[in-house]
Amino acid sequence: MKGTIGILRLFFPALVLSLIAMFFAWGTGLTRAQSQEQLDTTSEEVGRRSDQEFPVPLTPLPKTITPCRACHGPEKDFPVNFKRREDLLVHKDIKLNHGGARVWCLDCHDPENRDYLLPLSDGKLIPFNKTYLLCGKCHGTKYRDWRNGVHGRRTGHWNGVKSYYLCINCHDPHSPRFKAIEPMPPPRKPWAPKETRAAH
Amino acid sequence: MRENKFTETHFRREKRQDSVSSRDAGKSKGDKFLPDRRTFLAGAASLLGTIAVNSCTWQEFFQNNFRRMSKKEIEHTVQRLQAEYKKKYGKEFVVGSEAPLDATLFGYGLDIQRCIGCRRCVYGCVEENNLSRDPQIQYIRVLRFKDGNMDLEQSTIYYDPEEVPEKGYYYMPVQCQHCANAPCTKVCPVQATWTEPDGIVVVDYNWCIGCRYCMAACPYMGRWFNFTDPTIPKDQVNPNTHYLGNRPRMRNVVEKCTFCIQRVRNGVYPKCVEVCPVGARKFGNLLDPNSEISIIIRTKRVFRLKEELNTQPKFYYFFAT
Repeated sequence: MKGTIGILRLFFPALVLSLIAMFFAWGTGLTRAQSQEQLDTTSEEVGRRSDQEFPVPLTPLPKTITPCRACHGPEKDFPVNFKRREDLLVHKDIKLNHGGARVWCLDCHDPENRDYLLPLSDGKLIPFNKTYLLCGKCHGTKYRDWRNGVHGRRTGHWNGVKSYYLCINCHDPHSPRFKAIEPMPPPRKPWAPKETRAAH
Repeated sequence: MRENKFTETHFRREKRQDSVSSRDAGKSKGDKFLPDRRTFLAGAASLLGTIAVNSCTWQEFFQNNFRRMSKKEIEHTVQRLQAEYKKKYGKEFVVGSEAPLDATLFGYGLDIQRCIGCRRCVYGCVEENNLSRDPQIQYIRVLRFKDGNMDLEQSTIYYDPEEVPEKGYYYMPVQCQHCANAPCTKVCPVQATWTEPDGIVVVDYNWCIGCRYCMAACPYMGRWFNFTDPTIPKDQVNPNTHYLGNRPRMRNVVEKCTFCIQRVRNGVYPKCVEVCPVGARKFGNLLDPNSEISIIIRTKRVFRLKEELNTQPKFYYFFAT
């Protein structure tokens, strides 16, 4: 009996050692076999990830009402009327809520050529995809902040190509104040049952 | 020869036991062998050790701290993890190990005037960073304060109105502030958490022992503990991960916001910055004088949360107007 225990005691460390040796051999062999193919996919994936494109969102213009000159213009159905009117005949969906009595349609839209906006002091008409130039005419500090990236939303690369959200991507120019939105659900209270959302 | 010696010592010990206690001696002299204390302990220890090791893979058990790993070791670990995650979630995972970029120190800006408390950032973060849905872990807490009040104890994170923003309230999202003088990294007894050279405070989940000292030390409640195995729906799991970031975590480890390390180390904005519908969140390199965050610090009114604690956060709340 004592002899077998002695043999066991002798063999136990040897057994453990051999187990460890086996494990190491298995471990390294396996990883070496996998390494090449895994490496390929990794570099490919990383490349794809860093090349992710965030295109500049398109200017949200309703396609149906452009070109404006189809209706507006000296020779067309709607000659220029410089009188401020609240109730428009056609553009019923536009409720002007921008600067109160200070601003109305022809403060931004060019009366002669409705396909463009009023020019800056250089006399060049502003196309609809560069509205931010006109916004900056009144909102100079916001425009400066936006150019610096302090105001507004940006996506893309913090150290490279970013896409800018233009003023009218977030603000409706006819009613620029943000609308209230529904919040996402609050976190669960740790002491509340999982399904109920305790109202605060 | 050796066997002889062995039996001899064994015999001698038995003899000694004889003299110490006659009660034990009677047992060991009989046919039935009862191990002595030392043998029993050795056997029990090796058995327990084997069980403990078998609960994870051998490679995982012998894995080193991330900062001490060689390039080759990192490579092997990453491959093992990728295989493991693929088995678990059925997707090809990328477990990145991108090193910090040179001349980069990340800073974060949050326009507290602009924030409307819609919690889009909270859920964008949950999806990007593979956070546990149940039990719920959310890196970002959006505090709601009454106007004119800045007492954190009187704020709430459980507000749930029909629409935000509410009249008479303002909102302040709080997440890991990535302190330059981070108290959480100092208390870690195993150095499983540290500040990277680019300023991101990270956790090596495999090295974390789950003592939660860091959670006690953090004054911003910026750290979360996995009390159970995190649950992530297989179709919502994000396979683009980083070893120190959003790779799926395991039970009993602490996790935290990493500024989306898997994104920012590849030059992309963090997820919360991109999903914010009002553009209140800003991110950039503090060492670059023309970056958004540098311009904000230079030109706007900024404050840092609990500045008096000298944690020196790199998370700046600012007022754009």
